[in-house]
Amino acid sequence: MAIPAEPKKIIIDTDPGIDDAMAIFVALRSPEVEVIGLTTIYGNVYTTLATRNALHLLEVAGRTDIPVAEGSHVTITKGTKLRIADFVHGADGLGNQNFPPPQGKKIDKSAAEFLVEQANLYPGKVTVVALGPLTNIALALELDPSFAKNVGQVVLLGGAFAVNGNVNPAAEANIFGDPDAADIVFTSGADILAVGINVTHQVVLTDADREKLENSSGKFAQYLCKILNVYFAYHHEAYSTKGVYLHDPAAILAAINPSLVTYTEGVVRVQITGITRGLTVLYNKQKRFGEVTEWSDKPTVKVAVTVDAPAIVKLVMDRLMDS
Amino acid sequence: MDDHVGVVDDGGINCNGVLAPPSLPQKLIIDTDPGIDDSMAILMAFQTPEVEIIGLTTIFGNVTTEDATRNALLLCEITGCPDVPVAEGSPEPLKGGRPRVADFVHGSDGLGNIFLPTPKAKKYEKSASEFLVEKVSEYPGEVSILALGPLTNLALAIKRDSSFASKVKKIVVLGGSFFALGNVNPAAEANIYGDPEAADVVFTSGADIVVVGINITTQVKMTDDDLLQLKQSKGKHGQLLSNMCKFYRDWHVNSDGVYGIFLHDPVSFVALVRPDLFTYKKGVVRVETQGICVGHTLMDQGLKRWNGSNPWTGYSPVSVAWTVNVDEVLDYIKEQLMKP
Repeated sequence: MAIPAEPKKIIIDTDPGIDDAMAIFVALRSPEVEVIGLTTIYGNVYTTLATRNALHLLEVAGRTDIPVAEGSHVTITKGTKLRIADFVHGADGLGNQNFPPPQGKKIDKSAAEFLVEQANLYPGKVTVVALGPLTNIALALELDPSFAKNVGQVVLLGGAFAVNGNVNPAAEANIFGDPDAADIVFTSGADILAVGINVTHQVVLTDADREKLENSSGKFAQYLCKILNVYFAYHHEAYSTKGVYLHDPAAILAAINPSLVTYTEGVVRVQITGITRGLTVLYNKQKRFGEVTEWSDKPTVKVAVTVDAPAIVKLVMDRLMDS
Repeated sequence: MDDHVGVVDDGGINCNGVLAPPSLPQKLIIDTDPGIDDSMAILMAFQTPEVEIIGLTTIFGNVTTEDATRNALLLCEITGCPDVPVAEGSPEPLKGGRPRVADFVHGSDGLGNIFLPTPKAKKYEKSASEFLVEKVSEYPGEVSILALGPLTNLALAIKRDSSFASKVKKIVVLGGSFFALGNVNPAAEANIYGDPEAADVVFTSGADIVVVGINITTQVKMTDDDLLQLKQSKGKHGQLLSNMCKFYRDWHVNSDGVYGIFLHDPVSFVALVRPDLFTYKKGVVRVETQGICVGHTLMDQGLKRWNGSNPWTGYSPVSVAWTVNVDEVLDYIKEQLMKP
């Protein structure tokens, strides 16, 4: 990968989360990008714990210079019944390791305020990589309608395009976490690249890969191997696979190096009610409809359709071992 | 002896003189909203010795239910079987309201604006759902249903008689779009969209169901060349069908850039008589009844062990057509339609 003269500024909106931890570490080891902040959200854990884990991970990485802005504790519709995937990531979100509390503190601004501030500070230059439910991004759009145009790109991990979901047959976890927010984001007109589980399910870190990480002297590799047990155990049980999906690392690498994915463009809407709540439906304009539909006249987004999975797994491994 | 049963070896002759095969033909009711491609499927079915059409039931969709009944009676007359009962179905979906009618696809008469004379025969005295329950109870385990429109009549039959689902032999449904775009809007296919509540009742009823979605049927096209061949063939109804298809074909050019027609209903009929030309996946199918994705069909492929229960949990799986042998299905359809 050629390193651009000026690294791309990224903000990671995250709910760490075992694969979030991997993604954050990969980003911190990637010279192509400069991580200018983390914003936190519920999902794999509650927002308070996500903030704590974000601060903790930055301390592990020795990057306490990076600000952490805490995000919303409720959905965009003020919903408090959140789905928290502690059965995937452990009660602490980091594989039940009970790490000591971090020394650092979150900044005073909320996630949405921080996102708006940075997008205004560097118009068109900030990439937001959203690894959890999209509440903070939707709040940023509410706070400042010009956020859609000021943000460089939003690369989001979310959706299940023309495949079953992972929360239930219809919905993927991040979109299911706040479908209303997701629909606001998808139809906002921002430059959006959605990386769905139809793509990330192709990116598998095998049991053998983990052994390699374990045997390396990389600091991040060593740390991650401790927390990965819970994640592997869940995948063995739920999917009968010998490996784990690298959802968040795949999304981060799609932001770092867009050539690792190919995409199609179209209008994405999110179902916000009913049994298929959280369903993402992409209309790529291959067919004309006789009537006006809910997809008519909405801005298009990019949706990843293929991924260079071996290259992504290799990049993740290399960057974690060389740390 | 009732002439519907017992004659196993010589098959007998259908009402229109088609010689039945040595084994007993399967009893079939076609629930239909004719409709141009419905007419093709119905005329094909009458030409197919492996099935015995014991009745047609009608539904809104391509036309209003009333027009569907008129067209069904006409088709029975045209094929020389005016005594086949036509039972009129519900004029509206389960939740009520005026149904959406696709006259821009099938013409205002539903048959491509060819305006045939009114049929002489009269509709059956009972409603479609009563007729369905009656026949399925009369021949338990023997009657198959080919459902080519919205599923209101079948849902009403299931609600009317709790044993209907277990007594019906098989239901082949043309409907839905599985992991693909719809044709009413990106989320929904027309038949399911026509009555999503009814479709959800049918799919979760426990009956032996095969669903053929437009992800399958849009793979099988009759091109302009094929249509010309049909017109010039000695097919019993080649001329009529070719006239009907003009309007339908022009809509395809406009809507999909297809110079020809999709064979939605005929393909579904083939799934009934030649199931070997398809592959299937089994899974629970539910239909969304709310929001912007109303009418969306969603199948649980069973790739994951879910944490806890969800709206798909606990229902019987149905067979969803997964792949189709395009060439052989098209050949079969053309052969049937061009048969003198």
